[in-house]
Amino acid sequence: MLRRIVQHEWKALTADATLWVVAAVFGVAIGYGVWNGSRWVAFQHDTMASARAEELTRYDSLTTQVAALQQPDAKVSPFADPRSPSNVGGRLGPRYAMLPPGPLAPLAIGQSDLLPYYFKVSTDARENIVAATEIENPNRLLAGRFDLAFVIIFLYPLLILALTYNMLSSEQEQGTLVLALSQPVSLGTLVSGKVLLRALILVGLVVAFSVAALIVSGADLGAPGAVTRLALWLTVVAAYGAFWFGLAVAVASLGRNSTTNATLLASGWLVLIVMTPSLFNMAATSLYPVPSRVEMVQAMREAQDEANKGGSQALARFYEDHPELATGDPAQAMNDFNVVRVAVNDDVERRVRPVVSRYEEQVAKQQRAIDSLRFLSPAILMQAALNDIAGTGTDRHRDYLAQVDTFHGAWRDYFVPKIFAKAQITDFDQVPRFSYSEEPTAVVSQRVGVALLGLLLPAAVIGMLGWRRLRRFAVV
Amino acid sequence: MISRIARKELTEMFRDGRFRLLAGMVLAISLLSLAAGWKNYSALSQQHATAQVATRSQWLAQDKKNPHSAAHYGVYAFKPKSQLAMVDTGVDPYVGVAVWLEAHKQNDFKFRPAQDRTAVQRFGEMTGAEVLQVFLPLFIVLMTFSAFTGEREQGTLRQVLSLGVSRRDLALGKALGVTAALGLVLLPATVFAVLALAWSAEGGLVSSDPARAVLLALVYLAYFALLIALSLAVSARVRSSRVALVALLTFWFANSLVAGRAASDLAGWLYPTPSAIEFQKAMDADLNNENDMKIRLDKRRAEVLKQYQVDNVDALPIAFSGVSMQEGEEHGNEVFDKHYGQLFDRYEQQNRVYQIGGVLAPMLSVRALSMGLSGTDFAQHRHFAVAAEDYRRGIQRSMNGDIAANQKKGQVYLADQSLWASVPDLDYAAPSTSWVLGNYLASLLVLALWTCAAMGFMVRSASTLRAD
Repeated sequence: MLRRIVQHEWKALTADATLWVVAAVFGVAIGYGVWNGSRWVAFQHDTMASARAEELTRYDSLTTQVAALQQPDAKVSPFADPRSPSNVGGRLGPRYAMLPPGPLAPLAIGQSDLLPYYFKVSTDARENIVAATEIENPNRLLAGRFDLAFVIIFLYPLLILALTYNMLSSEQEQGTLVLALSQPVSLGTLVSGKVLLRALILVGLVVAFSVAALIVSGADLGAPGAVTRLALWLTVVAAYGAFWFGLAVAVASLGRNSTTNATLLASGWLVLIVMTPSLFNMAATSLYPVPSRVEMVQAMREAQDEANKGGSQALARFYEDHPELATGDPAQAMNDFNVVRVAVNDDVERRVRPVVSRYEEQVAKQQRAIDSLRFLSPAILMQAALNDIAGTGTDRHRDYLAQVDTFHGAWRDYFVPKIFAKAQITDFDQVPRFSYSEEPTAVVSQRVGVALLGLLLPAAVIGMLGWRRLRRFAVV
Repeated sequence: MISRIARKELTEMFRDGRFRLLAGMVLAISLLSLAAGWKNYSALSQQHATAQVATRSQWLAQDKKNPHSAAHYGVYAFKPKSQLAMVDTGVDPYVGVAVWLEAHKQNDFKFRPAQDRTAVQRFGEMTGAEVLQVFLPLFIVLMTFSAFTGEREQGTLRQVLSLGVSRRDLALGKALGVTAALGLVLLPATVFAVLALAWSAEGGLVSSDPARAVLLALVYLAYFALLIALSLAVSARVRSSRVALVALLTFWFANSLVAGRAASDLAGWLYPTPSAIEFQKAMDADLNNENDMKIRLDKRRAEVLKQYQVDNVDALPIAFSGVSMQEGEEHGNEVFDKHYGQLFDRYEQQNRVYQIGGVLAPMLSVRALSMGLSGTDFAQHRHFAVAAEDYRRGIQRSMNGDIAANQKKGQVYLADQSLWASVPDLDYAAPSTSWVLGNYLASLLVLALWTCAAMGFMVRSASTLRAD
């Protein structure tokens, strides 16, 4: 029986223009979204390539300079000496610590346009290193981009609602519902058939279009974890669809006319997708306001001043700015200064740490508030899940920052003893390199699993409520 | 007649439970968003003001040192918050809050506040502007979509028209009724906003540049008039309430949620910006152009020698190192003006895409105008960045001038606090309202055209209204 209903529905749906409009809108939006995402990923790859090239040229030049200094009576100012660990670890030899886009990055731009994906790591204080950002027009950051995640979160539910809001009411309004139910078929079966077909069509469309667009855009599905992530993506998208189908069944079961159904569902969409995320964000930022970073800037300055107090440091700073004015043995003074500077950087970092962690704590509190509210908003759940899968979310970025911190530590561990020992660097291959290790797919799956539950549970509850109400549905 | 129809519309709306619910929600979120905006503004402007005082006192409290060391020490500039930022935060979350003004270098603004937020921020911040740009238009659509179709479906339209009411009067009456309802819903929020502005302005409301606030209100009124007229026109044209609702919701979705993103993409595609690495590389190449620098310095040396009528720098009564350092600054300034100028011009070109995009989606024009009048657009960020950079250059000139005048050969020269105090505090004046409007002539024009067109469309559609 179910098959016959599905077959009949298929004929009815394909005869109506709505389905074709929905399919066309969906196809164009998905294709454009993925194309847009891939352009951004390509830009990131290009930028990373030029960073690598820049680093390589710099190191080649260092090697050449060192070779030139092997010549007898070759001279160099101590401030430009490519063998000095202080110079190499500081100004001359910083290496890039980069966060490569994940294999499915074209699917969701997420936070990747806002959060920096490369840092130039040196012996400088941490806060100076991680303050770097990519160039971007603030208007573009404000408006956001049109990517696949936007299509899925905003447009996909609307298309589901467009195909389902009148699935019962229109038959009732045309009088065909009584006819259909005079046959040996229950209302439950009829609704199942209708929902099943629509779900197959829409989920089928989103899967087909997304995968096709990904392949056309040249995403590397052979990369480790790519297939798992793609499977996660498709599951989450199906679960999100299930939520909206559940809502549509629940509304249909109320037995109202088509206009009322449309209004109810549109309001549901509006409240859940447009309103709650903004309201929750407002609640989180009002409850746990993050003070302006101007306070941190001032704190760093004070720390710097404090650390610099004392004659030798002040003198050293002066020498740094004015090498030509250094009297006596400049090399000796410089060496002392380098030792002092290491100590100063360390001191500054120690003093500033509590201030910096105040910001981090407030943001973490905001995140916790959002995390506990997110189960009330499928849009927030979806955003987090899609960003997670694409590798453009905050969690992966936090993990990257932790790796940068570790690398920064290793960098200092390599250079600081050499600075104190007044050693020389001749082999640049030994200088530490950053290599990003991707978050384990299992960790990502776990986070996405929570979101999946958060979508499926309400979908099931709402769907069941609607289903039970259907039994009391007044057909006439 | 028109006022009678308006009164009937108003009464009917207030009797409708759905309207009361919607109106209550709009009222609540507009008040909430304003309250949050006010709280946020008060906290941030306080923090920025405190920091600006602190950075100044650090500058003044410097020990005796060479002026060039002081130049390296520098000061910070923190962009003051504009008062209307409590209504529209604009690009403020996405531009850095602080810039270090030091020797030799024009720095970027660092620390974008949005980086200290959760990803949910990207759904849009619930500011007064968001309520006015996204939620109120939807409220208008929901109030008006069935204005004519509903009456036609109930059969009351035929009755009304049979009484001899002119179709134009009917449309105007309905428009007036909806406007009145909207006004009632917005009244508490407006009163609140005016009080909040007055409260937070030093020296009362008069000092807070009321022209901007009034213009901002006018822009939104024009936008609402446009939307009311457009909705009524659609309701008069189409067959059924359902079609009207679908058409208007589609317009709302495209206008409020898609247009901004599409314009972003188009702007980025038409006018690409370099990555920070490429930008730095190009700038460094110009900065390190030794030849340029040498030509400059030779020319300046010849000038100075001629001015003092001596034949070598050692014979000069001033320290040439001060002159040559200033020449280095001048060289850098040219390079910075070129590169930052190009980059910022690029942004402005991109932003023009949003303004012109208003032809298709009027929200883009409204948003641009709203940010501009609130003092939170990119143009005013740039205005401050330029002022801060000029201030930096002033510091460099004073420091290098002092070196030239006072440094003696073979001696370490240390200046004292009188030199630091001779540098005036950074006194930034926000641009005038007419300057802002000058930036947004395109948006103003687009908004005016849309509003007139929508009204014309409404009157035309109403005059051809069919009773069945």
